[in-house]
Amino acid sequence: MSYFIVGYYALLIGASCLAAFYQKRGVFLILFSLTLISFIVGIVGGESSLWFITLCAAALALAAGTSFAFREFLVIVLPTELSKAVKTAPLTAAFGLFVIMTYAIAGVFAPIIAPFGEAEVISSAFAPADENMILGADQLGRDLFSRLVYGARNTVGLALTATICAFLLGAVGGMLAATIGGWFDQFMGRLVDVIMSVPSLIFALLLLSIFGTNVAILVIIIAVIYAPRVFRLTRAVAGNVVVMDYIEAARLRGEGTFYLIRREILPNSTAPLIAEFGLEFCFVFLLVAGLSFLGLGIQPPTADWGSMVRENATLISFGEITPLFPAAAIALLTVAVNFVVDWMLYRSSGLKS
Amino acid sequence: MSGVLSIVLKRLGLGLLTLLIISILIFGAVEMLPGDMAEAVLGQGATAENLAALRAQMGLDQPAPIRYLDWLSGAVVGDFGISAVSGASVAETIGPRFRNTLFLAAYAAVIAVPVAIILGVVVALLRDTLFDRVANVATLTSISSPEFFLGYILILYLSVKTGMFPAIAKLNDGMTFFELLDRTFLPALTMVLVVVAHMMRMTRASIINLLASPYIEMARLKGTPAWKVIVKHALPNAWAPIINVIALNLAYLITGVVLVEVVFVYPGIGQLLVDAVTKRDFPVVQACCLIFAATFILLNLAADVGAILTNPRLRHPK
Repeated sequence: MSYFIVGYYALLIGASCLAAFYQKRGVFLILFSLTLISFIVGIVGGESSLWFITLCAAALALAAGTSFAFREFLVIVLPTELSKAVKTAPLTAAFGLFVIMTYAIAGVFAPIIAPFGEAEVISSAFAPADENMILGADQLGRDLFSRLVYGARNTVGLALTATICAFLLGAVGGMLAATIGGWFDQFMGRLVDVIMSVPSLIFALLLLSIFGTNVAILVIIIAVIYAPRVFRLTRAVAGNVVVMDYIEAARLRGEGTFYLIRREILPNSTAPLIAEFGLEFCFVFLLVAGLSFLGLGIQPPTADWGSMVRENATLISFGEITPLFPAAAIALLTVAVNFVVDWMLYRSSGLKS
Repeated sequence: MSGVLSIVLKRLGLGLLTLLIISILIFGAVEMLPGDMAEAVLGQGATAENLAALRAQMGLDQPAPIRYLDWLSGAVVGDFGISAVSGASVAETIGPRFRNTLFLAAYAAVIAVPVAIILGVVVALLRDTLFDRVANVATLTSISSPEFFLGYILILYLSVKTGMFPAIAKLNDGMTFFELLDRTFLPALTMVLVVVAHMMRMTRASIINLLASPYIEMARLKGTPAWKVIVKHALPNAWAPIINVIALNLAYLITGVVLVEVVFVYPGIGQLLVDAVTKRDFPVVQACCLIFAATFILLNLAADVGAILTNPRLRHPK
C-alpha cells in the first residue's frame, strides 16, 4: 500500500469528519459517499483510478476557485447596476462568463496568441508534442495548438454570424407578424411550421447538397433553419405586449408599425429574447460543428474545430487524446453559454422553480 | 369519443399536409439546381446526344410538375428511382440500412426511456438539493457536447484503452442477436447519454410544474402519504407531458443518429445520407430526407395525439 492511498483515504475521511462536526450535511454526504465509492473503484481499478478521481476533484476545485475569483473581479470592475446582478450569480454562471471571455480573447487576438499560422506546415504528420508545439502536430504536420486558437476565430465567428442573422430574421418576422396580424401572421406561422417539421441537420444537409458548401451559403442556410425558433418566441412575447393598452394608445396616436416595434414592443420583450439568443447560439454552434465534422462546413485549410476532430480521428485508435481537444473546446463553450443562459432565465422568470 | 376521433383525424390530416408540402420542398429544392441531374451525372465532358439520351432515360424531358407526381407516386409505394451515382435502386440501398438505423434507435430508446423517466422523477422530488444541482450540471454538459465528442470519448476509454467493446459497429449477416447488441453497444450508449439528459430535464420540469399545482398541495395538507400523492394524484396528470417527452426524444433519436453513425461507421441511413450529399447523389438525398422528415412528423404527431388522449382539457380548444 503506497503513501498515496493512505494519504488519499486519510484526507477524505478527515475532511468528512470535519464536515460532520461542523454540521455541514451536504458536504459531509458528498465526501463520505466519495469515500465509499473510492473503496469500490480502488479495489476494481487499482491505484490509477484513484489518481483519476483526485485529478477530477482538483480540476473541479480549480474551476470553482477560478470562477469565484472571476466573480469577485467582475463585481469590483463592473458599474454598480451590473455588479449587483453579478454578485448573486451562481458559480456556474461566473464560470460560463469566464470561459466565454477566454474564447473571445483567443478569437480576437488569434494571430498574436498562436505561435504558428493556421495553414503553416512545420513538421512531419502527427509529430508528437515537444517544447515547440505543446499539443503536437496534425495529419499534415500543422501545429495543433495554433489551429485550435484560430478555430476560436473561425468556428465561433461563423456560428455567431449565423446566429445573428437567424435572430434578426426571426425577431423582425415575429414582431411584424404580431403587430400586423391577419393573413401575414397566418402565412408566417404556417411557413415556420413547415420549416420546423424537418429536422435541422437533415434540412441543412439537403440544402448544402444543392447549393454547395461555401461560408456565405452556410450562414444563410443556418439562418433560415434556425429563424423559426426565434420567430415563435418573439411572436409569443410580442403577442402578449401588443394587446396592452399603451399599444392601443400609440396606434390611436397614429404611430406606424416600425415605431410601434422599435419604441413600444422591443423594450418590453428584451429579457426573454437575450436568453433565447444564448440558446440559439448553442444550437447553431453544435450544428456548425456537426456539419464541419461531416466535411460539409468550413472548408480546409481554414482551421475549424469540427473538421479537426474528423481529420485527426485516427489517432484515437492509438489511445491518443489530442483529437478530443477541439471537440472538448466545442463542448466547453456550449456548456459555458448554457450556464449563463440558465442564470439569465432564472433571473427573468421571477425566480420560480 | 367521436369528438376525440375527429380531433385526432384532424391532426393526422394536418400532418399529411405538412408532409406533402415538405415533399414539394425537397423536390423543388433539387429543381433549383443550375443545370439538371443529367449534367450532374455525366459531368462536364458530356456531349449533347449523351445528355439528351440520359434525360429521356431518366424522364427529365418531362415538365417539373409531372415529374414531381411521378416521383411522389413512386415514393408512396417505396420506389424512389435509381441512384445517380451507382445506378442501383434507391429503395434497395435504403431498405436494409433503414432497418439498421431503426434497430440502433430502438436499442438506445429501450435503455434510455426507463432510465430517464425514473431519474427525472427522482430529481424532481429531490429538487434544490445537492443531487439535483449535480444532475443539472451533468445533464447540461451532456446536452452541450457534440455527439462525436461523446462518441470518441467512449471509443477511447471503453474500447481502445480497456477493450471492453468494439469501436467500429460493423455488421454482417450471420451474427447472433447478442453479438449484434455487443457490436452496437457504443453507438447506442452515445445516443443514450444525450437523450437521457434531454429527457431527464424535460421530465423534471414537467413534474415540478405539476407538483406546484394547488390540488397536490391540498392532497398533502389533508395528510395523504407521499407515495399516494405521487401515484394517485400526480401520475395521472403526468402522463401527458411524459408521453410528449418520450415521443419528442424518439424523434430526436431518429435524426441525431446521423453523426453517431458516422463516428462508429455504422451502416445506417444517416451515413448513407452524408455519403450521398458529398457525392451529390440527389435521388438518394431526396429519399433519405423524405424518410427522416416523415419519421419526425409521425413521432411529433404521436406526441400530440398522446397528449390529447391523456389530457381531456386539450379536446376543447378555446
